[in-house]
Amino acid sequence: METIPKTEAPPAIPAPERLAYSIQEAADMLGVNYFSVYRLIQRNKLKACRALRGKLLVPRTELLKLLATE
Amino acid sequence: MNYKRPTELHEKANAEAMAVFAEHMSQFKGVCDVLRDIESNLSPIGNDALKAALLSPGRVIQTDDGTEWRHDVDLSKVTSVCHRRTAEGLEFAVVECLPLKSGEMKSVLNSGHNVRGVLREFMRDQRQVLNLWKDDVKAQVREHLDEKYPHQDMGIVVESFEIKMARSISETRAVAQSQSHGVRV
Repeated sequence: METIPKTEAPPAIPAPERLAYSIQEAADMLGVNYFSVYRLIQRNKLKACRALRGKLLVPRTELLKLLATE
Repeated sequence: MNYKRPTELHEKANAEAMAVFAEHMSQFKGVCDVLRDIESNLSPIGNDALKAALLSPGRVIQTDDGTEWRHDVDLSKVTSVCHRRTAEGLEFAVVECLPLKSGEMKSVLNSGHNVRGVLREFMRDQRQVLNLWKDDVKAQVREHLDEKYPHQDMGIVVESFEIKMARSISETRAVAQSQSHGVRV
């Protein structure tokens, strides 16, 4: 009986590292709710920048800094 | 007033955006409910904190700056009123214990010698955070609709999100204002 060769999934290409994340993504990475992220931003514990249309973005470096210091 | 009637497309875009931003809206409402509850009980919470500070030692919470506080009452899952004894008398603080994935972050959000003053300052700061959140959601909704419905004026939909969120914020303030009349805080 002919065996069907297994089709192997192509090797996963690592996603390029993002420079900044939305509040939702930042909350997920930190493991807290959205309000806590906004509170950290308001208290200047987490620096955020504004995208062209005014949306807040948290730089990856800032998230890593916060995760490393705790 | 320049009032525009929403078209069918606006209704469709609004329903679709509400689904996309459902988590934001749900968390926002939850936080507003908690803050409204704190606001409407500001005076009893202050009394309870004062009583706890005078009568019970309370468990020790050391904040990340090395200061030791004693727990009095919880405000939410992550914030509580604490106190410590200083040369000037009792000092109160709203302490946040934030369970980050990397470990717990313990910070003083507001502090002072008058517990009700500390609570009022805390509430004012929380409303500022809610406004920051509202403006961010507004910007995200606008961006989302610009991409989904290019060349269409979706201002009315963006505005409806802003109004819903602003109303929730002002409801927390309305409680505070109604309480400040005739009630000693």
